[in-house]
Amino acid sequence: MNAIECEHLTRAYGRALAVNDVTFAVPAGSIFALLGPNGAGKTTTLKLLLNLLRPTSGLASVLGCETTRLTKAHFRRIGYVAEDQIYPEWMTVSQLLDYYRPFYPSWDDALARRLTVMFDLPEDRPLKKLSRGMRMKAILLTILPFHPELLLLDEPFGGLDPQVRDDFIRGMLETVGSDRPNTVIISSHDIAEVEQLADWVGILLGGKLILAEPMISLQARFRRLEIVGASVASRLPDRLPPAWLKVERPASTVVQLIHNAFTNSVAAEAEVRAILGEIKIKPYPMTLREIFLVHSDLGRIEKKGQRHE
Amino acid sequence: MLPFTVEFRAGEPAYEQVMYAAKKAIMSGHLAPGARFPSVRLLSQELRIHPNTAHKVVMALTAEGILAVQPGIGTVVTAASNASEQDRTALLKDEVERLVVEADQLGLTEEQVVAAVQKHWRKLSPKS
Repeated sequence: MNAIECEHLTRAYGRALAVNDVTFAVPAGSIFALLGPNGAGKTTTLKLLLNLLRPTSGLASVLGCETTRLTKAHFRRIGYVAEDQIYPEWMTVSQLLDYYRPFYPSWDDALARRLTVMFDLPEDRPLKKLSRGMRMKAILLTILPFHPELLLLDEPFGGLDPQVRDDFIRGMLETVGSDRPNTVIISSHDIAEVEQLADWVGILLGGKLILAEPMISLQARFRRLEIVGASVASRLPDRLPPAWLKVERPASTVVQLIHNAFTNSVAAEAEVRAILGEIKIKPYPMTLREIFLVHSDLGRIEKKGQRHE
Repeated sequence: MLPFTVEFRAGEPAYEQVMYAAKKAIMSGHLAPGARFPSVRLLSQELRIHPNTAHKVVMALTAEGILAVQPGIGTVVTAASNASEQDRTALLKDEVERLVVEADQLGLTEEQVVAAVQKHWRKLSPKS
């Protein structure tokens, strides 16, 4: 089952397309990292999923319901932490919990208590007297105890110190797991923070979804290939295979290329040799950060190209 | 705290890396037979991996007979020292492959690599 499905989801602000024909699905139980630079459409996408915005065209459904038909009952199963979260700052942490508890039939008081201890939150101090990190944890404390089936976190790590980030992730992991198919979407430009955690990745650039797939398949198919051979750089033909996403020549004897359909070293070597002749190749696995940067660089080049036309 | 550490390497599946670290800890005797193996939740929180990945690791180690479920206790390490030489060698497969590839690219011969390994072995190994 999918927790989220988007089909040709589009949202325009005036003539600008903040989200442009986005189609993807998030299987229930996954932690989906939605990556993209600022202004890529991450926040707009999340707001469309919550029906805080209406799509200009296309549609999205969450927990099996089209977003424009979401009811109160659905929102009792969905947790959302906005980037610019508004909170009743005069309340203390325990007042905040007392306020939220009655809204959620699935509220788990034992988890709320455990999280309060884990987060090291002073229960009787007003939120306005807490640090930003403490406030973020307090907000998470109002959401996790009802075991949201869908948790949407918009740039949750911004401005948080490493200790608070760690608490935040631990807290989140209290309610995600094999015994519960709860789904999490984290939008972030903080890639290293989610690399091991997420099992699905989506990359948004300029409102377009560049890719959305399981982390394992992404890690398997992307390689940086270092190709070494005498004058190999000058042997590069004009037309290159489409899987060679990016090709660079740091020296006449070296070609670096990003391959996006890598299967194994033997096949890759055969493929490259068919084009470049006698060479040696060395495949390097790529971090999520490197994969992301390759795409955002390509996006930038494409944009410039269009402007020149 | 976990009884073993995982140094995550770029671009490699978290599942394989955690499996590797766990097996190494058990086969080297770091985690003795009868020792409790961390729960799925603890693994997930300490390593910041998806709980499903942690679950998969525990299931796979149990299926291989390296861990056993003991009611009321959790998962415990079974007979670690039973690991065959073959099993233990397999743990170094990636490192050996990487060494061979590197050596080949540097134009070294098999003998030179073996000699280099022996030299370091004598320098570092306390047993010989």
